[in-house]
Amino acid sequence: MVDITQTAPRAIAGTRRKLLPSWVTFAGKTLLSVCVTLLGLAALTFFIGRLLPIDPVVAILGDNSTQEAYDNMVRQLGLDKPLWYQFGVYIKGILSLDLGQALTTGKPVIDDIARVFPATLELASVAIVIGTGLGIPAGVLAAMYRNSWIDHTIRFIGLLGYSAPNFWLGLMGLVLFYAGLGWIGGPGRIDLIYEFDIQPVTGFYLLDTAMAGNWDVFRNVFSHIILPASILGFGALAYISRMTRSFMIEQLSQEYIVAARVKGLSWHRTVWGHAFRNIAVQVVTVVALSYAFLLEGAVLTETVFAWPGFGRYLTNALLAGDMNAVVGCTLLVGVIFVSLNLLCDLLYRICDPRTR
Amino acid sequence: MSKLRNGKTFRRLRRTLTATIAGAAIGLAALPLAGRAATPGSALVMAWNIDAISTFDPAQVGEVVTNELIQNTCDSLVDFDPSDESKVVPGLAKTWDVSQDRQQITFHLNAGLTLPSGNPATAHELAWSMQRVVTLGFGNAATLTEYGFNKENVKERIVATDDNTLVMKLDKPYPTNLILQAIGANRVSGLMDMKLLMEKQVNGDLGNKYLATNTACVGPYRLAQWNAGESIVLQANDNYWGEKPKLQRILIRHVAEPGTQRLLLTQGDVDIARDLSPDDLADLDGKPGIEIKKVLKPQLFFWVFNAADPVFKDEKVRLAMRYLIDYDGLAKSVMPYLGVPRASFAQIGAIGALDEKEGQPFSLDLDKAKQLLTEAGYPNGFESNVLFGTLPHSAPIAQSIQQNAAKVGVKLNLERMANAQLFSRIRGREFKSGMLAWQTGVPDAHGNASRLVYNPDNRAEAKLTQIPAWRASFQNEDFNARVQQALLEGDPEKRNQLYFSLQKDVMEKGPMAVMFQMYNIIGASDKVKDWSWNGFRVYYSSAHK
Repeated sequence: MVDITQTAPRAIAGTRRKLLPSWVTFAGKTLLSVCVTLLGLAALTFFIGRLLPIDPVVAILGDNSTQEAYDNMVRQLGLDKPLWYQFGVYIKGILSLDLGQALTTGKPVIDDIARVFPATLELASVAIVIGTGLGIPAGVLAAMYRNSWIDHTIRFIGLLGYSAPNFWLGLMGLVLFYAGLGWIGGPGRIDLIYEFDIQPVTGFYLLDTAMAGNWDVFRNVFSHIILPASILGFGALAYISRMTRSFMIEQLSQEYIVAARVKGLSWHRTVWGHAFRNIAVQVVTVVALSYAFLLEGAVLTETVFAWPGFGRYLTNALLAGDMNAVVGCTLLVGVIFVSLNLLCDLLYRICDPRTR
Repeated sequence: MSKLRNGKTFRRLRRTLTATIAGAAIGLAALPLAGRAATPGSALVMAWNIDAISTFDPAQVGEVVTNELIQNTCDSLVDFDPSDESKVVPGLAKTWDVSQDRQQITFHLNAGLTLPSGNPATAHELAWSMQRVVTLGFGNAATLTEYGFNKENVKERIVATDDNTLVMKLDKPYPTNLILQAIGANRVSGLMDMKLLMEKQVNGDLGNKYLATNTACVGPYRLAQWNAGESIVLQANDNYWGEKPKLQRILIRHVAEPGTQRLLLTQGDVDIARDLSPDDLADLDGKPGIEIKKVLKPQLFFWVFNAADPVFKDEKVRLAMRYLIDYDGLAKSVMPYLGVPRASFAQIGAIGALDEKEGQPFSLDLDKAKQLLTEAGYPNGFESNVLFGTLPHSAPIAQSIQQNAAKVGVKLNLERMANAQLFSRIRGREFKSGMLAWQTGVPDAHGNASRLVYNPDNRAEAKLTQIPAWRASFQNEDFNARVQQALLEGDPEKRNQLYFSLQKDVMEKGPMAVMFQMYNIIGASDKVKDWSWNGFRVYYSSAHK
């Protein structure tokens, strides 16, 4: 089943004299590319931020301040220094994990991110579990029963997930399940009454309450997260199932499938044991990309559900011209994408024997 | 493909799928995860956009939410009558005497003032707290520096003569009521926990960093918990010196989306929604169980003209623009739940303000506008720009004016931008005209006269960016003199008359076409009783359920 020509380059590579073990070269190259990517990202965001016609000083002091207070703040923020110098100071700060002070909250950006990111991470993780858990089987089924009613139903659901705006689904979901049926908790991560019963350890309320054995509160947290996570997961499901379906269709038309069937393998084993293993690499990429997009924070969903997450923090910072926060958040998004890419690379090495 | 499809598997799968879907549906139906919530009887629960909170230091706070929280956690020296904001009533001080020359006010404090920590709470701590505002020099210091206090003299001019007596010495004979209003409204006369703040001091910040996440004041409530961007809990102080608050706790949940606030309110999960949209308010108005409550706040929405602009420097052009504003039409269409028409710089409710009718004499009159433009030398109109920000009513108002202007040949180009950018442009005098809101800190005509009319130095290098009249490059010596004269006039009736005539003249010649005075407006459950407020503050401690 594996293309025989694929083995040839490996054999040649194997004869080359190795100065360093392959994992060291791999790690070195990766580290270098990560650093260059992040530096480029920091530079780009920093300079765009400085070019924007938004005055951070007015954003801090408000419309009503005196010129003296204004000039003091300019000095305090170092905005009177040349741009390259400011950038140098900024990069130096990043290296010591100091992303500067957020203007809107008055706190270090890194503290703000530590506060808002777990909320988004928790939501995105539950959403991706829902999206992947349903999306992959749906995609495989749609490919197996191509053009049957199953395929059509899955396509319809997928289209809905693609095309219906999340904030609309969110509001409708709230109106139906919260206001109408009363099945779920409303907006926010938890009922206000329980809010102060939680001792944040990980910042993930589901984990924190489970670890504390506080099941009443766990139930409440679950009742709050299930709807926004389902709606975000629905979007991911649409994408994952569509992609899985097309990968799968391609595999199912290969001759090795016929060979497997002729050999007497059951349909079930052929699909999951052979075809699916061959699309695993592509599916991993799709899932990782979906997860990365979810981790950027879904601003509209977070707003509708009063979810104190990363997406909303970043948007507020943008609107207020709070460039320290914006650059800090952009860097984090960069780190997320780079790390998920790395994770994908590692998973490829596991899933695909040719890349080892 | 289809040849390969195994019929048996397909049927089995179909059965499994059907069973799963049916099971899931039954499971979901049996899974009401959340019980119907009602808010606790001893707590007031509000949904509010609290994104902008960055500190609880009364000396630094300048934003709406924290302003309200400070007013309920930090008693001030004097307070406002809840039903009439222009009347000053006792607060920390039970009485006060004024010297003959009106340049010294002696306050006699109530007995038994207590801080939540149990630390001493006397006139000495109060004097320190007021000096602290000037020493730290944040925006709020202006409330005191405006009346002659500065970093050098504040320790001699605000002093405690004994545990219960505080003396304020003024540099001029200002109207006593104005001084009392200013210190009552602007978070400068709270009695802070000096001992605690000095213990928590970092780099000589007088406890500013500690107060970023705490309160330490004499007041009915204290900040019990704050989860930034999520929620706030205020807890009643058991040892409070005054009348005990009726509700034990005030819970505030951060909700940015007005539609979500509405859902929470109608579901009974919150008692009060603070940021409902005009559409939601119109919809909820009259619904059983919900009450819409509103009060005029001292905020004006205006159209400002740059008097340095070759077109707008002519007062006739500026007057003509006022006749392009459809006050009545906008009041009915855009503004019903947002505000009321107002053309005078002095807000309704302020001492010295013209009444509602006299304070808004304009109406849409295209002929009058055309005539004024012709007299000014623009019979065929002109072209200009209007900048505005993200306030939701800015765009419809600007568009309405743009349409009316087109009818008299004036082409107005509308330019919408982020608020921070708008403020930069206006402060930097880089505009022809713009629309924005301005809020004064005192219920007295002087509050806005000193900002929207008075401009002591019109030179660009003076950089009086905190004065909107300066931003509009507007200076009128006659108006300046009259503002000063009215400020120091001792006879209240004469003072009123001075302001009345000044308002009438400024409406004709001033640099701003004031358009609306804005509401504070909420949707509340009818379970909430005795919600008490005026344009300057909300009184949590009287509310109950």
